[in-house]
Amino acid sequence: MSASRRSFLAASGLASAGLLWPGRDAWAGPAPARMPAPTSAPASADAGARMLGQSRLLRDEPLARAAVEAAQKAGASYADARLVQWQRESLRVRDDHVSDVGLREEYGIGVRVLADGAWGFAATSRLDSRAVTDAAKAAVAMARRSALLMPEPVVLAATDVVRGAWVSPVQVDPFAVTMAEKVDLLLAAARAALAVSGVHHVDASLLSAREEKLLITSEGSRVHQIFFRVMPGLTATAIDRRRGRFASRDHEVAPMLAGFEHVTAADLTGQAPQIAEDALRKLHAAPVVPGKKQVILAPSNLWLTIHESIGHSTELDRALGWEANLAGTSFLTPDKRGKLRIGSERVQLVADRTQPGGLATTAWDDEAVAGQRWELVKDGIFVGWQTTRDLAAKIGDARSRGCLYAENHAAVAFPRMPNVSLQPGPEDHTTEDLINATDDGILISGRGSWSIDQQRYNFQFGGQFFWEIKKGRLTRPLRDVAYQANTVEFWSSCDMLGGPGTYRLGGTFGDGKGEPGQSNSVSHGCPPARFTVHVLNTGSGT
Amino acid sequence: MTLTRPEAQSLVKSALKAATLKEISVRVSSSREGNLRFAGNAPTTSGEVDRVDISVTATRDRASATVSGTARDAAGVAELVRRAEALAALAPVDPEHVPPLGPQQYADDPRRPIAADPAAAKLDAQARTDLVAQVLKVARDGKLIAAGLLEHGSSSVAFGTSAGLFAYHQATEVSLTTTCRTPDGSGSGWAGTVSHRAADLDAAGAARRAADKAEMSRGGGAALEPGAYTVVLEAQAVADLLEFVLGSLSARAADEGRSFFSRPGGNAIGEPLFNPQVSLRSDPMDPTHPSIPFAGDGQPLPKMTWIDHGKLLALATTRWWAQKQGRKPVPTPRSLFMAGGTASVAELVRGVERGVLVTRLWYNRMLDPRQILVTGLTRDGTFKIEGGKLSGPVKNMRYNESPAAMLGQVLALGRPERVVAGNDGVVVVPPMVVDGFHFASVSDAV
Repeated sequence: MSASRRSFLAASGLASAGLLWPGRDAWAGPAPARMPAPTSAPASADAGARMLGQSRLLRDEPLARAAVEAAQKAGASYADARLVQWQRESLRVRDDHVSDVGLREEYGIGVRVLADGAWGFAATSRLDSRAVTDAAKAAVAMARRSALLMPEPVVLAATDVVRGAWVSPVQVDPFAVTMAEKVDLLLAAARAALAVSGVHHVDASLLSAREEKLLITSEGSRVHQIFFRVMPGLTATAIDRRRGRFASRDHEVAPMLAGFEHVTAADLTGQAPQIAEDALRKLHAAPVVPGKKQVILAPSNLWLTIHESIGHSTELDRALGWEANLAGTSFLTPDKRGKLRIGSERVQLVADRTQPGGLATTAWDDEAVAGQRWELVKDGIFVGWQTTRDLAAKIGDARSRGCLYAENHAAVAFPRMPNVSLQPGPEDHTTEDLINATDDGILISGRGSWSIDQQRYNFQFGGQFFWEIKKGRLTRPLRDVAYQANTVEFWSSCDMLGGPGTYRLGGTFGDGKGEPGQSNSVSHGCPPARFTVHVLNTGSGT
Repeated sequence: MTLTRPEAQSLVKSALKAATLKEISVRVSSSREGNLRFAGNAPTTSGEVDRVDISVTATRDRASATVSGTARDAAGVAELVRRAEALAALAPVDPEHVPPLGPQQYADDPRRPIAADPAAAKLDAQARTDLVAQVLKVARDGKLIAAGLLEHGSSSVAFGTSAGLFAYHQATEVSLTTTCRTPDGSGSGWAGTVSHRAADLDAAGAARRAADKAEMSRGGGAALEPGAYTVVLEAQAVADLLEFVLGSLSARAADEGRSFFSRPGGNAIGEPLFNPQVSLRSDPMDPTHPSIPFAGDGQPLPKMTWIDHGKLLALATTRWWAQKQGRKPVPTPRSLFMAGGTASVAELVRGVERGVLVTRLWYNRMLDPRQILVTGLTRDGTFKIEGGKLSGPVKNMRYNESPAAMLGQVLALGRPERVVAGNDGVVVVPPMVVDGFHFASVSDAV
């Protein structure tokens, strides 16, 4: 069993512990869509309830209420206040020593208002009644100024008033594990990789994050949530000084909405020799011959291609031009919903904020809309958008899909990506089945470089490891491989999918969007799948 | 409100006073920022944010830990110190540890903060909407659709150590970027303007440049065959590519065999690597574009020449690496000035018989650090040049090219200008004519 498989089972095992929507296994394939969305999440388990009850944010809840009231008094037709606290711990090991130990905390309040039909926002880390009232008034004042330049007012789709609390499932609070234990784990993994002769450098890291927020809206909603996310990492680098070449190989473990149990299950030390061997193999791999080829993309590679080509193109704000100045627009437009074929009939892509382990999983978004699961691409046809309350109203949808998120108290909430996942095929194929069915191709795993245009047509992706496939067999490792394709051609060429047993999550803490830029954490699940692409050689030919 | 020198110094002092370990360093950053986004010819979101961030690094027996938080008073600072010290007690020894620096001499005069403009510090919601209104007017008059961002901020950063160092810097910045698109989505143009001075922000000018490009690209264009082209890169596109060369200017990566600048047994310092027209320097005290005069660890940032007429003169060297190699430390710069000429972009275009004009580049990613091979795409204003004239729009293209190789194939340089950089540093570069630039595939994106 691969590391990612084991760790994923560990994470999804949390679901059966009853902490998160019992009965749904993220890796076990498509479950019935949850529509209409639930308006409240299940009660948190005892540990979660205790964390919520001891929260520092409760002390400051009256300030959040005061901010909302001040905004209303100043003339806001809608207001929300978010108290947000972040804790991030980073630990990095290089070879035989610790290179970085850091703990970052951020805490403050952000007030978002709608006044005269325009948005305003102000944030402060000063938590006293004068500061939050001033922030609320400033937000209303700037909304009113903006309104003078607006041809039509912002309209919000209806939502239910909700009151609830939720803690993401966690077996072991990563902040309760001692620094010594974490350091030992990383140093042991680095030692195990360095023990492989020819490996010159090893970097190991562990990022742990705890996000807590309490949202109060002028419509009467109140939601209090805590999220735990962890990201273990291990990279081995081999250097061939004679030929002036070096090669790095990353562990393919995914970051997860989970506790320290995910780090333990990733078994960095056990996997380290393999990672090290792979780095050496990459160093001595044969250069790829470019051309049009079939590629089998492992979930550790395909998740990012889903993120870039489908995740971003189905963001409705992009399609409406709201991100035209930086992130870009989309090849999808509102008139294409339900009509445009963007993939072969086997392509099913689902947005899901209820997926166990998913980094973008949440009980409610930043305007108290419940997390949901819905279709983006059904049988290859584009059918769904990612929306927020103002976006839903723009295209006449009755309800928001719950995609509003702000990276911290100081950032204005705006539309962000949910977990977007490719559903496994019905045939129950294994990765080996896909390889055996391929005459001339490449198996690509892991995340390499990635680049895609601002409307999400033309992309070029690398990977971590490349196996040549000849006549249904893995023959030898290749290097300097990148694949280039057009989004619609790529998904239309998808002719084989792994089954439910091959489904894995990949993800990132660093999904960037917006101006000023904000970061979002998001996961993408998928089976391995086969496509036809242009393969490039990105090496210098030596 | 940003913290004044005495306010920041008092927080630094309270951290040092609260410390029980001998080695402590403290950074106090504060900012007040405002922004207004717009799209579809109307404001979308706006914001005002005030922040204070304090970061404490504590060291015990060469083992360090850093704790940061949004504390704002002496008690909050003392708590950060306590936590950093507790974490340092658990952290293992870092063999690469260097002790904090003692007092340093900086190039600036604390009584005359040249990087902070009082007018920029006073910008408010009304100023933001007034500036954005200028952009929206240009777009509406041209029957175009504008999106963009106006941002302004004042900030201060203070850094102090238990060895007696204290550094303080105040700055302001105002920037506006805008993309104008034709209503049918067939044409797009981008422009940006940035300065530390409010008076230097030319919102209407940027809007007109973006609008002109959108208009010129209306209807889209033909697809060029992938291949090698002579290109005129506007300053923004040059900066987009140069970033990768700058990121590679590390002595350690070079000495360890991981970089373009690696050589058997060392690095490429002293080698003529680029076209003789290429010179690159940094200067925190540049009168037009001042920047912070100290590095993150308090080292003074000197006036420095990195590349002189194509010859590599220096690589950034951390204090530890310098100590290990018996060299002088060279801090990573926060300002970059590339030498150029006096020609405008239009004049550069006149000198090109056949080629492509590139406004900016997008989603640029390193493919191979040994060659500094990078991929990315052209965007928001890509035009064919024929007989020294822009002869029409062309489809955007993906390039696979080495910015290092590009610096070897420079044909001409124009007048340098400050560009909107991804980080908060100052980047001033010229537009550039380059021979044999490699476009790999065509993109349908507009």
